[in-house]
Amino acid sequence: MPDGARALRRARDTAVVAAVALPLVTLVVQGVADEWRGPSLLPQRLGTRGFATAFDEGAGGALATSLAVALAATALALALGWPAARALGERRLRHPGLVLLVLGLPLLVPGYATGVGLTEWFVRLGLIDTLGGLVLAHLVVVLPYVVLALVGGFTPSLRQLEEQARTLGLTPARLLLLVTVPALRPALVTAVALGFLVSWGQYGLSLAVGLPTLPVVLLPYVRVDPEVAAALATLAIVPPLLALVATARLTRRPL
Amino acid sequence: MTGRARKRDREAGPSLAVWLALVPIVVLFGTAIAGAVRQSLDPGFGPGERPLGLGAWRELARDPTFGDALWFSLRTTLLATAISAVLALAASLALRHRGAAPRLLVSLPLPVPHLIVAVGAVLWLGPGGLVERAVGALPVDLVGDRAGAGVVLVYVVKEAPFLTVLLLAVLGRRLREREEVAATLGAGRWQRLRWVVLPAVAGPLALGSLVVAAFALGALEVPLAVGPNAPQTLAGYALQATQLDAFGGQATAAASLLVATALSLLLGLAALRLARSARA
Repeated sequence: MPDGARALRRARDTAVVAAVALPLVTLVVQGVADEWRGPSLLPQRLGTRGFATAFDEGAGGALATSLAVALAATALALALGWPAARALGERRLRHPGLVLLVLGLPLLVPGYATGVGLTEWFVRLGLIDTLGGLVLAHLVVVLPYVVLALVGGFTPSLRQLEEQARTLGLTPARLLLLVTVPALRPALVTAVALGFLVSWGQYGLSLAVGLPTLPVVLLPYVRVDPEVAAALATLAIVPPLLALVATARLTRRPL
Repeated sequence: MTGRARKRDREAGPSLAVWLALVPIVVLFGTAIAGAVRQSLDPGFGPGERPLGLGAWRELARDPTFGDALWFSLRTTLLATAISAVLALAASLALRHRGAAPRLLVSLPLPVPHLIVAVGAVLWLGPGGLVERAVGALPVDLVGDRAGAGVVLVYVVKEAPFLTVLLLAVLGRRLREREEVAATLGAGRWQRLRWVVLPAVAGPLALGSLVVAAFALGALEVPLAVGPNAPQTLAGYALQATQLDAFGGQATAAASLLVATALSLLLGLAALRLARSARA
C-alpha cells in the first residue's frame, strides 16, 4: 500500500476512534469539572462537586438498586428461559413462530405502558416500590432477549454431544459443567450481557413501578446541572463497558 | 435420538419447557395490558360509585396537544428508523470484509444506555455546548428544537450501530458463497447487490427496524432529555398527564400509552409482512 493511502487510512481510523471515544471522555471530564464556562474548551477548575451532589441525592442507593435488579432479572430470565431456548434451538416445537411471537410481544410495547399497566396490580399485591416488583417488571423485557440470545447456542449437535457424554457416564451436574456450559459459552455470555444491559438501561418501566434506579435519578439533572448529570452518567457507563469487554473476551466477538 | 424419543419430546417435553418462559410473560404482560385498559376506563374520583367509561378516550380525541404528540412521535420514529436503516445498510456493506477491530468500534455504542447518549448530545450540541464553543453557533438547534432533530439524532447514534451489527451477522460466509455463484454466472456488482444481497438482508433489516421503531415510539427518556417541551411524544404526554392530575391523569396517561402500543403493534404487523415477502 502506498504511504499516502496508508496515512489516509490511519487518519480515518483515528477519526473514527475519536468520534466514538470523545463523547465518553467528555462525560468523565464534565463530571469532575466544578467550573467549565464558555467559550473555553477546557474546564477552569476540577473538583468533586458533581459526584458529591450525586451521592447526596441518592446515587449510591440507585446504583445498588440498578445492579441488584439487573442481576436478579437476568438470573431469573436465564433460569426460566433456558428450557424454552433449548426447545426452540433444537427445533422440537410444533409452532415455534407462535412461541417467538408471544415472547417478542413485550418488546413492541412501550416500557412505560407496561409499567403503568403493572402498577394497577402491583399496588394491590404490595409489590409497588419494592425490589421484587421491579425485578418482575424488568423480567417482562429481559426474558425475551435472554431466550432469543440463547436459542442460537442450543443446536442439534450440542444435544448429540450431550448424549455421547451421558453414555460415557457423566452425571447431570458434571454434564452441565463440563459439556453444556462450555459449548454454550458464546450464546450464554451474550444472553447474560444482553439481559443485564436491557435492564440497566430501563427508564420508563422503572419510573412507573417505583424505586429509583440510576436512569431515574439521572434524568432530572440533564438540562439543569450538567456536572451532576455527567457524574451520574459516568457511574452509569461503567457496567455496560465492562459488559462489552467481558463479552468480547469471553466470546471473541463484540455483542 | 430414536424416532420414538423425538416424538415423545415433541408431545410432552417442550410444552413444559416452553410454558416455563411463556407463563411469566403471559401473566405479567397480560396483566400489564389489562391494567392499562382498565386504567384508561377509570372515571377517577367522584361522589358515589362511578361506572367505567370512555371519558379519557373522549378527552384524547378532543385535545389538540394529543394530536401534536401523536404526529411528533410518528414523525421522529419513522425518520430515526429510516435513517438508521439506510446508514446501517451502507455501513454493513462497507465493513463486511473488514476485520474484527472495525466491528468492535461499531458495536461500542450498543451497551451505552439511550439516556447516556442523550446526556452526551446535550453536552456537545446544546446551547453553549462544546460544538458551539469550537465552531460557533449551529445553524439549527439540536437540543430542545420543536422539529425533534436532537431526538432523531440520539436514536440514530444508538440504533444505526445496532442494525449494522445485526446485518453483519447476516452478511456471513454463506451469503458470500451465493454471491460467488452469481458472479460465476455473470452477475455484475450491482446485480449481485440487487438480486442476492438485498433480498437476504431485507427480512432481518425489517425486523430489526421494527424493534428500533417500537422503542422510539414509546421511549420516554430521550425526548425528556433532548426533546422540546412542546410538542411532546405520546409517552411524554402520558407522563405529563399524571403530573398535572395525580388521580384523573392516570386514565388519560393509560389511554395515550395504549395508542402508542396499538401503533407499535401495527408497525409490527407491517414489518412481519415485509420480512415474510422478502423470504418468499
